[in-house]
Amino acid sequence: MHARYLRTLKFDELELASRRTFFRVTDEDLARLASLRSFAEKHTEAIVEAFYELLLGHPETAKFFSDELAVKHVKKLQRDYFLQLFDGRCDLAYVENRLRVGAAHERIGLAPKWYLGAYRRYLEVVREQLFKTFPSDEARASMESITRIVFFDMSIAIDTYIAANLETIGRHQLAIRELSTPVIRVHERILLMPLIGTIDSLRANQIMDALLLRVVEEQARFVIVDIAGVPVVDTKVADSLLKTTAAVRMLGAQVILTGISAPIARTLVQLGVDVSSMHTCARLQEGIELALQLAGKVIVDREKGGAP
Amino acid sequence: MIDVVAQYRLEIQIEDDIVIVRRKARQLAQARKLDPFATAAITTAVSELTRNVLVHAGGGSVVLEEISDGERYGVRATFEDHGPGIANLELALAGGHSTSKTMGLGLSGSKRLADRFEVKTEKGVGTTVRIEKWQGL
Ligand SMILES: Nc1ncnc2c1ncn2[C@@H]1O[C@H](COP(=O)(O)OP(=O)(O)O)[C@@H](O)[C@H]1O
Ligand SMILES: [Mg+2]
Repeated sequence: MHARYLRTLKFDELELASRRTFFRVTDEDLARLASLRSFAEKHTEAIVEAFYELLLGHPETAKFFSDELAVKHVKKLQRDYFLQLFDGRCDLAYVENRLRVGAAHERIGLAPKWYLGAYRRYLEVVREQLFKTFPSDEARASMESITRIVFFDMSIAIDTYIAANLETIGRHQLAIRELSTPVIRVHERILLMPLIGTIDSLRANQIMDALLLRVVEEQARFVIVDIAGVPVVDTKVADSLLKTTAAVRMLGAQVILTGISAPIARTLVQLGVDVSSMHTCARLQEGIELALQLAGKVIVDREKGGAP
Repeated sequence: MIDVVAQYRLEIQIEDDIVIVRRKARQLAQARKLDPFATAAITTAVSELTRNVLVHAGGGSVVLEEISDGERYGVRATFEDHGPGIANLELALAGGHSTSKTMGLGLSGSKRLADRFEVKTEKGVGTTVRIEKWQGL
């Protein structure tokens, strides 16, 4: 999973070098971090505890750590995470490892603000301990190295959040596409398909497939395609409507196109698109009436004294 | 004299860009109070020409501009690509001829939809298409 993010984020040796330069993560910093390893090990417990105290003390974050077993598990991950800061390396393997953290947070829905806020607490505790343990020069230099790698870490985590989010959006778009080609039976053997939004190539095919299947299933004779919700009817959209019409006709049914606004009608004419193979109506209601009429049915107004 | 009031440059690289570009065109047309007919015309022409850049030239860019001649506002779109160029411009503008088995009405249709239409194309160098649509008088 993280390897995939490494790819999506185009994180290679070049990107790594560029980012390390920008965040000033030097070899000297890495050496200093490695030398702080025993200090880090000594304080891991306290730091992880302080970190959780913060998260559990805040109602909005506490809910992410509801059961004790989970907390135990995440605490162990935190310990590892913290100690890895002091591995003294900053290579692709390290990045891959960090990517996993952002991905995990995205998965459980922990927003970046909590991650960033909690990291601040980390730094607070580390700073306290550093200045208690070392002379202030040394503590300051150490703090600077830690800050650099921590910011480097955060940049990766944020990238992962974004990549994971984009993936989620992509999945949602697919879902919406599937949802957005409903075929409704308005009367015996009369189907209605309201089209809404942008019709790209993918959707055009889905529309066609969904419709043809239903025409056969329902032995439909009329299909009303309503395009009132389609913002732009260009030659690409017109082409898929015409192809749909031809295919529907092969199955023994006819297409009635409705919801054509005056500007769209004029645009289609100026484009030179020939829509004469379809019945067309301005409004959906007229389309339904036309279908009923062509099917040999009439809508009778009771007031005006039709059949009881 | 035509003044450029505002200018936006957009890349055309993937199919989703078609929606982005034509939405922007529609937004400018509406902001500059083009009527619904003119707005539909410019939006549709932009949709066609954006797709042409993508399909026939493999990508390129467009500059959308809000323009004014001192009396009226208009929208201008200039498409530029470094694709193969239009092999037979006369045929392409006649309409009904496509080298990609589609309708072949995009270029000729855009010309009819626009108030002004210019195309420059050179084999192996690329194509530039410019259209304008103005507020009615
Ligand atoms: N930007 C472009 N670069 C190269 N060729 C183009 C470009 N735009 C249009 N063409 C050529 O002009 C023809 C007609 O274009 P158009 O009228 O939009 O119809 P279609 O896109 O359906 O083929 C295309 O088939 C193509 O050969
Ligand atoms: Mg075209």
